[in-house]
Amino acid sequence: MMQSSPFNFQRAVVWIGRVVIGVIFVYAGYAKLTYPNHNLWPWFMLKFSVLANLSTFAFQVESYRVLGAAGSSWVAHTLPLAEIVLGLLLLLGWKLRIWATIASAILLGFLAVVTRAYLLHMDINCGCFGTPEPLTGMTVLRDSALALLALMMTVFAHQQARKPHAWAAPAATPGT
Amino acid sequence: MKGRHLAAVAIALVAVSTLLFSGLGGKHLRAMRGASSIPAKVEAASLPAPGAAARPAARPAASSSLPSVPVSLTLPQAQASGLADIDPRRAFGSKSAPITMEVFSDFQCPACKQLYKTTNQLLLDNYVNTNKVYLVHRDFPLPMHAYSKIAARYVRAASQLGKSEQAEKALFDNQEKWEQTGDVDGILAGALSSADMSKIRAVAKGTSLDAVIEKDVTAGKGYNVNQTPTTVIHYKGQTYPVVGVVNYDVLHAFLDQLLAQK
Repeated sequence: MMQSSPFNFQRAVVWIGRVVIGVIFVYAGYAKLTYPNHNLWPWFMLKFSVLANLSTFAFQVESYRVLGAAGSSWVAHTLPLAEIVLGLLLLLGWKLRIWATIASAILLGFLAVVTRAYLLHMDINCGCFGTPEPLTGMTVLRDSALALLALMMTVFAHQQARKPHAWAAPAATPGT
Repeated sequence: MKGRHLAAVAIALVAVSTLLFSGLGGKHLRAMRGASSIPAKVEAASLPAPGAAARPAARPAASSSLPSVPVSLTLPQAQASGLADIDPRRAFGSKSAPITMEVFSDFQCPACKQLYKTTNQLLLDNYVNTNKVYLVHRDFPLPMHAYSKIAARYVRAASQLGKSEQAEKALFDNQEKWEQTGDVDGILAGALSSADMSKIRAVAKGTSLDAVIEKDVTAGKGYNVNQTPTTVIHYKGQTYPVVGVVNYDVLHAFLDQLLAQK
């Protein structure tokens, strides 16, 4: 008779973290590339739209006053694609421990800058998903929840990797 | 038992995250949907009625940097008719330039300040002064900004004396100061002569300029503009709208590509 794997809390958190954070990362990257301008054709308009969106996002990054113009521009041109790739890798689950660690580091970074801006009462847009979204206490709470989930996913993924899988054949006992 | 408690914590965590994101996700999806088609009634409601913005509205928290809602990029063909209402005192360059650019801007919007101070200055030097671009300033005071319509009135009044450039520069340079207090007059008094200021005050204190500003807003509504800055580029009968702070290099490449078209 087939037996299902027993419930494992750590594996459940890793699975949920992969799906939740993976989907959010892909969505956040896509939104930054396609909002507010989303002309798809002709090709030069598509290129212009995406580059215009990235320069608007660079302005949002710069408004945090953590990086200069060049640094903000670099982040704006790198982050959306990195988010999409990282999100897809989390969803795939390949080399999970590496990507989960990177995602946790990125989310902790987001949490740090968002909390700083909130504490300094900066009247700026979050810039999280491309849309105009004021940075509020809710933003800090949301980023905290995500960072916590990412951290739990990362720690549990590392711990699980050291244990044999529930479906794995039991190790041979010496002398049998 | 320990496992069950941990499971409950995890489920609660996921539930909180889902709740937090469902609000945001809905907002974003609405915004994305709005970007492709904005119902005319909703759009009209989000914009000031003629003369209504003379009363400064309560300033919402965390709003000064916020463009309100997205803009439709699908333009009706009849848009070019909006070009008839250009105020030459708020336009730069030659009317016969191959490209016309209308910049819908709000003096209280930080993104508009950024566009003005970076991209548009270089645009003036390299495209407007070389007769490649006719640059038109359009006032688009957003209802969420308490003092932007007053600022627009003062700049309009200054433009009647040929001082719009100085007034515009003074307001954008000192945006952080007057957006808190609404002291547009004080900022301009520091940049213009007292004789000019008394003339400007006489015009700006009334509501006579509201109709002119409203014409720009109406032109913007024709393009479904409801976010600033929005730049509408016209070339050979084609209209290319772009929202946000467009980097000069990106715009430069795009304009050169347009000009290279046969």
